[in-house]
Amino acid sequence: MSWQWFHRLGSPRWFYQTSTRWLPLLALIAAAVLITGLVWGLAVAPEDAKQGNSFRIIYIHVPASFLALAGYYIMAIAGAVGLIWKIKLSYMVMKSAAPIGAALTFIALFTGAIWGKPTWGTYWVWDARITSMLILLFLYLGVMALQYAYHSVDAASKAGAILALVGTVNIPIIYKSVDWWYTLHQPATIKLTSAPSMHMDMFLPLLVMIIGFYLFYAAALILHTRSEILRRERKTAWVRELVESKAEIY
Amino acid sequence: MYFSSFQDLLTMDGHGVYVWLAVIVSLVVLAWLVVAPLLSRRILLKDIARDILRERARQSTPTDNHGEV
Repeated sequence: MSWQWFHRLGSPRWFYQTSTRWLPLLALIAAAVLITGLVWGLAVAPEDAKQGNSFRIIYIHVPASFLALAGYYIMAIAGAVGLIWKIKLSYMVMKSAAPIGAALTFIALFTGAIWGKPTWGTYWVWDARITSMLILLFLYLGVMALQYAYHSVDAASKAGAILALVGTVNIPIIYKSVDWWYTLHQPATIKLTSAPSMHMDMFLPLLVMIIGFYLFYAAALILHTRSEILRRERKTAWVRELVESKAEIY
Repeated sequence: MYFSSFQDLLTMDGHGVYVWLAVIVSLVVLAWLVVAPLLSRRILLKDIARDILRERARQSTPTDNHGEV
């Protein structure tokens, strides 16, 4: 077996052209799944016996938190691949993952604060889970800021990748925070190792929303990476040909 | 539908404000994640097209174009 596929995967041009074909379909499926999950969760699922209807925020809060964390892995792994194999596309993925992760972390924190008011009686506490999620937001913002802190793209990419890798120490802290410091935030509702502590009528729309968020994340990451590819490859022949082939510009 | 009327769906027994605020803000942020790269891509494509036109103009009139493109 040759390593050709690996090198092709690292080619920005190949990524751009392949994603042109698949992105519309992916975006369409993501939108359909998200709409299905949202309508199901907001309008069809029964209300919670203790929390009433405020629990419906879970259908955004939990999927957004999942992807805020999964997105950090993707950003850190992309940074590591860039550092080890010097693959430029990998750095472009890392840079693109930062604002998406920041946005999802913001959604997780914001919906959590809104949910906290009717449930805990407060928008914010310096609970371990909440604080570590806030640190996650700052890590994302840090990687974003580093991209603009250097004149050299290469130096910015390396610095971003190192911060992303150092920041992974925060990830297990976030996961374990609800068990280590049991204060206000409840432990995980869904675990891979056991059945969900939720009724199926409530759990199924949540599952749909989580899948929808994963699909949305993939589509958003490809979209951001594509415009980053154009930005960095603007001097190359293939980008010029691409622009010239778009008749409306002339 | 779980709610008996559309009005009930909006108010959610007093929790409607929280739920809908969370939903709307989240959807706005998600929409921004889609719109932002599309906008920057558009600006970039125009930028690159301008570069190409400028280079062509320079090639066709190599002597003096009075600094115009």
